[in-house]
Amino acid sequence: MKMLAMVRFTLFEAVRRGTLLFYFAFGTIIIAVFAIWLRKSPEDPSMIMLFGATVPGNINGLSSADFFLVMLFRQSTFWIIILGTFGAAGLMTSFLEKGIVELYLSKPFARWELFASRALGASAGVAANLMYCIVGLWLVFGLKLGVWHFGFLAAGLLVSYAFVCYFSIVSFVAIWSRNAILSIVFGLFFSFISIGLESREKGLYRLWDNTIYHRFLDGFYYLTPQLDGMLSNASRLIGQIPFSQEPAAFNPAPYFYSLGTAALFYCLSVYYFSSRDF
Amino acid sequence: MAIVETYQLSKTYKSGYFKKTSVTALVDASIEVRAGEIFGLLGPNGAGKTTFVKILLSIVRSTNGSAQLLGKPVGDVQSRAHCGYLPENHRYPAFLTALETLLFFGKLNGLQKKGAKDKARQLLEFVGLKEWSDRKIQKFSKGMLQRLGLAQALLNDPEVLFLDEPTDGVDPIGRKEMRDLFLRLKNDGVSIFLNSHLLSEVEMISDRVAILNKGALLKVGTLDEVRGGTTVHRIQIAGLLSPEQIKTIGLESQFLQSDETTTTISVKTDAELNRTIDLLRSWGIMIKSVAQQKSSLEDSFIKLVTNGNPV
Ligand SMILES: Nc1ncnc2c1ncn2[C@@H]1O[C@H](COP(=O)(O)OP(=O)(O)O)[C@@H](O)[C@H]1O
Ligand SMILES: [Mg+2]
Repeated sequence: MKMLAMVRFTLFEAVRRGTLLFYFAFGTIIIAVFAIWLRKSPEDPSMIMLFGATVPGNINGLSSADFFLVMLFRQSTFWIIILGTFGAAGLMTSFLEKGIVELYLSKPFARWELFASRALGASAGVAANLMYCIVGLWLVFGLKLGVWHFGFLAAGLLVSYAFVCYFSIVSFVAIWSRNAILSIVFGLFFSFISIGLESREKGLYRLWDNTIYHRFLDGFYYLTPQLDGMLSNASRLIGQIPFSQEPAAFNPAPYFYSLGTAALFYCLSVYYFSSRDF
Repeated sequence: MAIVETYQLSKTYKSGYFKKTSVTALVDASIEVRAGEIFGLLGPNGAGKTTFVKILLSIVRSTNGSAQLLGKPVGDVQSRAHCGYLPENHRYPAFLTALETLLFFGKLNGLQKKGAKDKARQLLEFVGLKEWSDRKIQKFSKGMLQRLGLAQALLNDPEVLFLDEPTDGVDPIGRKEMRDLFLRLKNDGVSIFLNSHLLSEVEMISDRVAILNKGALLKVGTLDEVRGGTTVHRIQIAGLLSPEQIKTIGLESQFLQSDETTTTISVKTDAELNRTIDLLRSWGIMIKSVAQQKSSLEDSFIKLVTNGNPV
């Protein structure tokens, strides 16, 4: 009950600060653009057109619509996560401001409850916006093009899941530094690193041919949420990524590993938050 | 029953990651606050008053000693449910209105929506902010924020109220109004723990006080105990006294020459007062006034803080 009040307040804060509204407007514009300019090709109804140009199809067995969705998904989810971080990080530091945090801490709940409800509220805001865009696009494809792609909906849920895992790092830095900018910078840095780590055999390993260095990269990979692994696997629920060396099959492992590492970082945050003086 | 009970409570703040610095904010403070009283914790800035209250509400963890709040060790979530807190320099999310603030904090206190609304309106009236209910906090003056803070602290009908510099930034009339509110709350059975560096304020409403300096308790007791309970008589006369006359009146008395034309003589006992007046009259000196003066809390505070040893 009290936790719920805090979760709702966190969302309310995002609305009042304008961030949630900004994202909502942004998502609406994107959905509207596709709703207006996406159509079936008049010559071949199995092909789709955007802005009057035909989207390629029949690549690696992908239909034109699937090709469009998987490319869109693969290209945009990373940036959606980044954009979400910009909105959510501030919510993890605003409640720690001097003069406000004392009030929250004097209320009858434990510190972990306070932290959890803030993190939950911040993540819920991002997830709600993301799912709004996903469901909106899904409806455009279903209603306008007759393509009801449930894999796309499921992939959207997995991106929300990936955000919650990845956000453990941002929250940890936010709680530790009480500085939203620093937590965003660190989050950005980490998200780029995670791309490098995902394909470390082909890139980072080659920088230095040293076993200790390679095992260090492995350790880093398994100890942090595997953001890029989760995002690329989510896209495989829509279809195989065309023109790519990546494996075609969906691999659930990154989701399990990341759940563990995210839990670790959330626990570290709670531990640090609980032991500190305000 | 003791509302607050601490035993040798100590706090040393440690900060810095590489170069560790430590600040001792509280040393062996043992205090008992009784149900129904207004207890004033006095001390100059940096004495450790805020630290003391924050430990009770487990916003800060003590490094040594023990503390109990409403009969339970500090840190107990449930005992916090019966406390109200007005922090020093508190702020509220600026995008809220006064009413929204109270509704939100009411919910954090576990109030239901309907109950919270009634309670919030009633409290806004109590602290004199009724007309401001729907205004954004951004527009509030410091004094109004203090009133709102007080309303917030009262949302859960607390048994004990912790007020940290509550009249800070409030104008004299507002201060008087706030003091009256505190006394009304006391009449309703609320115990009040008041932190302040404004002695006269505390003196006007507290039942018992403690004096804290550099983290150490110098004195705890009723107002009279801390003041020392001494009274002096001050006789103001026209003109100056000669050295012989001063000698005759006696060394026990103090002589203060305010300017060329008046002198004030302080005497301690009634007998001395009468003897001195007789002498002055016999010399034909004009007595301008005679007044009785209690030593103020400020006198003993300054004496304690400048040269006092801990109790
Ligand atoms: N969070 C903190 N970290 C380090 N030192 C602190 C902290 N809070 C207070 N202090 C120090 O502890 C001492 C007591 O401060 P405080 O309890 O705020 O005193 P008061 O409320 O009587 O003015 C001061 O020297 C202050 O600088
Ligand atoms: Mg203080």
